[in-house]
Amino acid sequence: MNTSSENIIDKSSKWVVSFFVASAGLWLLAAAFLAYIAAAKLTDPFFLSTFEFFTYGKVKIAQANAFVYGWGGNSIFAISIWILARLSQCEVRGRFMLIIAGILWNLGITFGLLGILDGHMNSHEMLEMPNEVWPLLFVSYSIITCLIIVIHRSRRIHETIAPQWFILASLLWFPALFIIAWNGLEINPAKGTVQTVLSMWFGQSLIWLWLTPFALGVAYYVIPAIMGKPIDKYYLAIFGFWCIAALAPWSVVHHLEGGPVPMWIPAIGTVMSIAMIFPIAVASTNFHATAFKDIGKVWDSLPLRFIIFGTLSYTFSSYIGVIFSLPAVAKLTQFSIINEFHFNQRVYGFFSMIVFGVVYHMLPKITGKEIGKTAKSFHFWTSAFGVLILLLSYLIGGLTHGVLAQQPSLDWASSVISSIKPYFLITEFAFVILGFSQLVFVVNIWKVLVPNPFEDFSKNKKFAGKGSTA
Amino acid sequence: MNNIFKFAFGIFSTLAIAWLAFVVGARIQFGDLQPTSSFLEEDGSIPKNADIFPQALSGIAQQGAQEYVALGCATCHTQQVRLVDSGFDVERGWGKRPSVARDYVLQNEVNIGNTRIGPDLANVGLREYSDEWLHQHLFEPQSLIQESICPPSPFLYDIKDSKGEGLIEVIAEESTRYIAPSDRANRVVAYLQALNQDYELPEMGFVEEEDTSENSELEVASVPDLNSSQLPSWLADQISSGREIYKKVGPGGGGCVTCHQPTGLGQPGIFPPLADSDWVLGDKERIIKVSMYGLMGEIEVNGLKYNGAMVPPGMPMGSLTDQQIADVLTYVRNEWGNSASSVSADEVAHVRSTIKDRGAMQMWTAAELNTAEQ
Repeated sequence: MNTSSENIIDKSSKWVVSFFVASAGLWLLAAAFLAYIAAAKLTDPFFLSTFEFFTYGKVKIAQANAFVYGWGGNSIFAISIWILARLSQCEVRGRFMLIIAGILWNLGITFGLLGILDGHMNSHEMLEMPNEVWPLLFVSYSIITCLIIVIHRSRRIHETIAPQWFILASLLWFPALFIIAWNGLEINPAKGTVQTVLSMWFGQSLIWLWLTPFALGVAYYVIPAIMGKPIDKYYLAIFGFWCIAALAPWSVVHHLEGGPVPMWIPAIGTVMSIAMIFPIAVASTNFHATAFKDIGKVWDSLPLRFIIFGTLSYTFSSYIGVIFSLPAVAKLTQFSIINEFHFNQRVYGFFSMIVFGVVYHMLPKITGKEIGKTAKSFHFWTSAFGVLILLLSYLIGGLTHGVLAQQPSLDWASSVISSIKPYFLITEFAFVILGFSQLVFVVNIWKVLVPNPFEDFSKNKKFAGKGSTA
Repeated sequence: MNNIFKFAFGIFSTLAIAWLAFVVGARIQFGDLQPTSSFLEEDGSIPKNADIFPQALSGIAQQGAQEYVALGCATCHTQQVRLVDSGFDVERGWGKRPSVARDYVLQNEVNIGNTRIGPDLANVGLREYSDEWLHQHLFEPQSLIQESICPPSPFLYDIKDSKGEGLIEVIAEESTRYIAPSDRANRVVAYLQALNQDYELPEMGFVEEEDTSENSELEVASVPDLNSSQLPSWLADQISSGREIYKKVGPGGGGCVTCHQPTGLGQPGIFPPLADSDWVLGDKERIIKVSMYGLMGEIEVNGLKYNGAMVPPGMPMGSLTDQQIADVLTYVRNEWGNSASSVSADEVAHVRSTIKDRGAMQMWTAAELNTAEQ
C-alpha cells in the first residue's frame, strides 16, 4: 500500500473518527468527574449529601456506565473504523449514517445516565440504564457495526489477520450478549437468582468479550506497525483468539462462590478462569516478545509506551485475577473492594491505556497535526502513576477488607470498614491525579480535532499587521 | 476466518455453549422453584396446614424494594448469606442459615449484590431494629454509628426544629433535629423490616449454634440449644448459666472467652485449650482451685506446654461465687464435644474450705496443683 492511498483512507475517515474520539473524550471527563465524587463520598459521607442526585450508589453506577459505554463505546467505534479501513485498504463509506448513529448512541447514554441519577436505575449489572434507552442504543450500535462490517467486507486482501479477528469479534459479541441478557431479564424474565446469574454473566462478559478483545486487537495492530517488525510467534495468535472465545464466556461467574445458586455455577467459573492462563500467556508472549526485541523504541515512541503499559498490566492483573478466582482466595475477597481492583485494572490499566496509545498514534495521521510532546509525556506519567496507585490501594485495601470481614468477632463499622478508610483516601487522591491527566488528554485531542475558530483570526491579524506596516 | 459469516458463526457458537449452560441450563434446573413448607412428608408432598415459605413481600415493601434499587443501596449491600464453608456470615449474625435460591423466587428485584462495604441485609428484619432506628439511620447513619460511611439521605425527610407529633428525634454531635419521614422513606423502612430468611426449607435448615461471637444477635434467639434441651432441667440451667459466665466480659462475668476463645481452643503456646483437655475432663479439685485463684507459669495440657498467666477469674478478680464456679465448670466440661460429670456448689464450697488460708491473688502453679493431687 502506498502512502497516497493511506492518505485517501485517512482522509475519508477523518470526520467520523474525529467525532467518535471527541465524544469519547467528553465521556472520559464525565466519568473522571463522577469517579472523583464517588471516591470523595467514601472518605466524607457528608460531601454533597443533601443532593439526591449525587447519592453514592447512583454516582458509582453512573460512573461505571459512562466509562464503559461512553468512553469505551465511542473509542471502540472510532478506532475500529480507522484500523479496519486501513487493513481493508478501503475508504470509509456511509459516513453520514455513522455520525447520525453515533449521535443517537451518545444521546442514549446521556439520557440513560440522567435516568440513573434521577432514580430510574435498573438492578442488573451493567444494564442499569433505564429500559427506555436500550432500544435506541441497540439500534444505533447495530447501524454502526453493520457499516464497519461493510468496510471490512470490501477489503482488497482476502486473508484476514489477528487485529481483524479480535476487533470484529468484540463488535459482534456485544449485541449477542445484549440480546441474551435483554431477553432473559426483560422480555421473558427469569425468576429469583436465575436473574442474578444472567445479569452477572452479562456484566462480566461485557468486560471480557467486548472491551478486552478489542484492546487486544488494537495491540496486535499497533505494536508491529510502530516497531516495524512482525509479531513474534504470530502462529499462536489464532490459538489465543479461540481460547478467549471458548473460555471467557464461562470464566466470569466465580463471584457467586457460596451464594444462593447451584454449586456448579461458581465451580465451572473457577475452572475456566484457571484455563484462561493459556490465552493470557499467548497474548503476552506475542506482544512482549515483539516489543522487548527493541525496548529502546518502545521507550521513545509514546503511543507504544502506552500500549505496552496496557499489555503488561493485562498480563499481570489477569494472572492476579486467576489467583483470586481460586475458591480459597475467593472466599476472602469476593465481596471486598477487590472488585474495584478487577474493574479498574481492566478498564483503566488495560483498555484505556491502549486506547490512549492508539489515539496518539492515529490522530496525527488523520488530521496532520501533532500533539505537543510535553503534554503527551505529562499524560503518560500521570496516568501511569495514578493507575498504579489506584490499583495498589484497591488490591491491598481489598485484601485487608476481605480478611477482616472473615473475622466474625470484629465489629463491622468500627473495625472492618474503619481499617480500609485510608485506602479510600488514597483512591480519592488517585482519582484527582487521573482527572487532571485526562483533562490534559482531552484538551489536547480537542485542540487537534476541532478547528480553532481563533486560528484564522490570528493569522488574519498577522496579515493585517503586515499590511499596515507595509 | 476469512469469511465473515463463517467467522461470526464460530464466535457465536462458543458463546452459545456458555449460554446453554448459564441461561437455559440454569432455568431448567432452578428457574421453576416454588415456595414450600419447612419439612416435607415422606412422599415429598407439603404437609396439611403447614406454612409455606418464602412469603411474598407486602405492597409497601415491594415499593420499598424499588426505592432500594433506585437509590443504589445494592452498590454496597449484599443480600445473601453464604454457605458455612465459604464464609463466616452465619457466625457474624447475618442469618440463621445460608441463603438458597428458593428464598428469592417471589422477589421482583433480586438484590443479592456483590460488594459489602455495608453489612449484609438478607436478614436485617430479624435484627430487632425499631422503625425509628432505621429512619434515624437512613437520615444520618453517623448519628447512630459514628464510623459509618453510609451516605446520609436527608432528602427523604422533612427536617423540623421542634418536637411534634410523628416526628423522630435525631441527636447528632452538636444539634438535635426532628424529622418527618416521607412516603419513600417509609417504603424503604418497610422493605428492610420485611427482609428475613427466618424459616427453614427442606434443602437448608438453620445452622446449629456452636461458637457465635458474644455480640451476635442470634444468641438470644437460640437458647436453649438442642443439646441442653434433652438434659434434666437443673443441668440445662447450670450449663446455660455457665455459658453466660464464660462469655460475659464485665462485672458478674468470668471473661473466660477472652483467652480460651469462643471455640474453647485457647491459643497455642499461651492459653491452653478447654475442649478435649485432660485438665478440664480430669480431677475436679484442680480446676476448682484454678477457678478461684488463677494460675501462672508453665503448664502441660494434652502433652503440649503452655506458658501464660491466668488471673483469678471474675470481675473484680476472684469474685466468682461457689455457684458461679460450679456453673461455669459444668459448662466447660460439657461444651465443644466435652462430656463429663457436673460440678455442684457444695463441691466448690468444700474445696474452698480446704484452702481458706491462701492469700488473695496468690496464683497457683501447675506443679503445686499436681503435688497436692498426689
